[in-house]
Amino acid sequence: MKRALTWMLAAMSFAVLGACGGGTDGGDSSGSVARGTIGFSAMTLKNPFFKIIADTMTAEAERHGFEVVVTDAERDVNRQSQQVDNFLASGVAAIVLNPVDRIAIGPAVRRANEAGVPVFTSDLQAVAEGVEIAGHVGTDNYQGGLLAGEAMIEALGEAGGDVLVLHFKQANSCVLRVDGFRHAIGEYNRDRTEGRIEIVAELEGGGLRDEGYRAMADGIQAYPDLAGVFAINDPSALGARTALEQAGRADQVRIVGFDGEIAGRQAIREGKIYADPIQYPDRMGIMTVQNIVRYLDGEDFERVHLIPTELYRQADAERDPTLD
Amino acid sequence: MPEGAGGSVGRWRRKLLDLLGRNLSVVVLALLCLISSVATWREQNPITSRSGGAVARQVLEACPAPCAVLVVARDTEADRLFARAIEEGLDGSGVRIAGRVFGQPRDVRLELERLAMVGGSLDAIATHRIASEWGPVRSARARVFSPGSYHWPTFLTARNLLNVVNQNADIAIIALGMTLVILTAGIDLSVGSLLALAGVITAVAAQEWFGGVAASPAGLLAAMLLGVTAAALGGLLSGTMVTAFRVPPFVATLGLMMLARGLALILAVGHQRRLVGGGAEGTPEAVRVDAAAFAWLGNGSVLGVPNPIVLMLVLFVAAHLLMTRTMFGRYVYAVGGNVEAARLSGVPVTAVLLAVYCLCGAFAGLAGIVDASRFEGGRPNAGELYELQVIAAVVVGGASLAGGRGRIAGTLIGAMIIAVIQNGLNIAGVASYEQKVVFGALILAAVLLDRLQPRLRRFRRKPL
Repeated sequence: MKRALTWMLAAMSFAVLGACGGGTDGGDSSGSVARGTIGFSAMTLKNPFFKIIADTMTAEAERHGFEVVVTDAERDVNRQSQQVDNFLASGVAAIVLNPVDRIAIGPAVRRANEAGVPVFTSDLQAVAEGVEIAGHVGTDNYQGGLLAGEAMIEALGEAGGDVLVLHFKQANSCVLRVDGFRHAIGEYNRDRTEGRIEIVAELEGGGLRDEGYRAMADGIQAYPDLAGVFAINDPSALGARTALEQAGRADQVRIVGFDGEIAGRQAIREGKIYADPIQYPDRMGIMTVQNIVRYLDGEDFERVHLIPTELYRQADAERDPTLD
Repeated sequence: MPEGAGGSVGRWRRKLLDLLGRNLSVVVLALLCLISSVATWREQNPITSRSGGAVARQVLEACPAPCAVLVVARDTEADRLFARAIEEGLDGSGVRIAGRVFGQPRDVRLELERLAMVGGSLDAIATHRIASEWGPVRSARARVFSPGSYHWPTFLTARNLLNVVNQNADIAIIALGMTLVILTAGIDLSVGSLLALAGVITAVAAQEWFGGVAASPAGLLAAMLLGVTAAALGGLLSGTMVTAFRVPPFVATLGLMMLARGLALILAVGHQRRLVGGGAEGTPEAVRVDAAAFAWLGNGSVLGVPNPIVLMLVLFVAAHLLMTRTMFGRYVYAVGGNVEAARLSGVPVTAVLLAVYCLCGAFAGLAGIVDASRFEGGRPNAGELYELQVIAAVVVGGASLAGGRGRIAGTLIGAMIIAVIQNGLNIAGVASYEQKVVFGALILAAVLLDRLQPRLRRFRRKPL
């Protein structure tokens, strides 16, 4: 029976090793790439937005003779900084991050600086002290927030009303969006006594469908007179829509989202979301790779490039060829 | 069974199997290291003074005086050593150093433009493999010399091995405490949250009470002590629930897990709100510690070994001695083996259990200050799902969830097995989803083995 035990051990080892070995085959082909490897640590690949960045980066890098290794930080800065260390150990040409925590990622970026490997950020910026970021490409989130405010004013019309914000405070990009949104609403309310728009609360929607749903369900109870909701991204906007439909309030409360990912645009076409300031993750991915190539070629480029958003309404969705 | 039949061959085989069975986890670890090495067999391009000397010899051979050379390196410590070795190698040979670049590709371009402007000739560029791929170097009208590369497993580089252990030092530290709890047939789900709570308390205390930027090392130490104490008290609380009120450890520590996480978030958000002067609600970001000395524990090193590893080894030795050389250690095994028997033979069961949970909390707290130091701030979201990784390390290390069986050394190896798998998969570029499947399978296999062992032993006793 001792032998049975040993067999089991062997089987177990091989199961584990087999799993490792199977995975490594794909990674090994990286050695033959002409100009080197780019390491990318995405914020979370569960959100299609970051998946688009990863995919467009991979395609664009291939055109320039680079290979991209995509890793998922799963919103954990510890995991992200480990990924940076692993990139450094395997000798990448450049590192791209969507910083999970704009401050706590600092030490990891510093280690990359010390190793002479350039770090680029996309979408979210890092603000830790004493770190060098070679280049950043992101959305002009404040401008996007202003557009979201305009969309809300347009949606509510002269009547105005109470508005709820579904926030995700952990991400500075979302803080900027809400700042822009508040500014636009504040400008509208100035010198106005009738038809004002009041932001009654900011609830934490987590930027996710389920959390957005729960927050909205609570919001409906707490603020029965809601006329509008601004959700800082599409997943939480769609979660809010579900909650409103269940409460039978979907016709009275207008939703403004953010992102313009495919599910969001679909919802705009069906009239479930009023409008989105849309971002361009594909351009972000492409420009980031182009910046890396320019960096390695010794050319000058814009260190911080913010892509403006554009407002996307039902009429745009009806003309959108990417929706079927 | 035929194994005894073949005389000495059979005996040897039996001995070997015995050895394998007893040190299974070591064998698995060694196998994993081997696999990781094979899987990461890659081209290596070290940047050292030795490779710099090699480049200098190449230049002398292929481009003798009066050759004009541009030395290109990045602005890092290793690059400067490399560049100095090139220059020393060329010294006195009549080869002229036309210029030096310590920086980025852009600096190379500017230097080349400058050289062209002053009309100096340039015959060769001496650099390392990485910079030889830079655009300006490739397009320069000069011969490029860089050191030859060789093949070696990336896994087995000093940098990577230190990475592997360093990245998992916090898990290993908590796993030491968890081993004690599991030896008493308990479980502690609160460790990840206690880690975060200790980190946040340390950070907030350092910022608000002990002087922020100007905090002295003593002040920082006091802040850390506060953090660890809070975590230990948390452990004491679950210990009390388990002993005084007979709450199952799973439930007691589940409650504490949520409680501590909530407290960490509240403290962090409250601190951020005070930072911006009240009013607006704060964000659950890391509470930054400004004192520069604070980063030493997590990011510094002693003789080239990162501090978290040093701390882990010290704690490992202490825990090992505690469990093998002291009365307390024997009490813990006794309580885990059979509570009633232990009680009847005079073991202070309640005190032992309280101490065990308290220690486990303190270990989590220590990991918390390592984490806070590593990220230069207390993160309220730190340590999420750590409890599962830690329990996995303990179980893979051979401890029995039924209590009474397990060793500190086993836990350390268990933590390293998980670390090596994770690292191997990471540098091979495997997505985290596949990694989860591997870990799940590993834990199931370890537990299955644990379940089967008594049965196997029973079989073994029968005449074959």
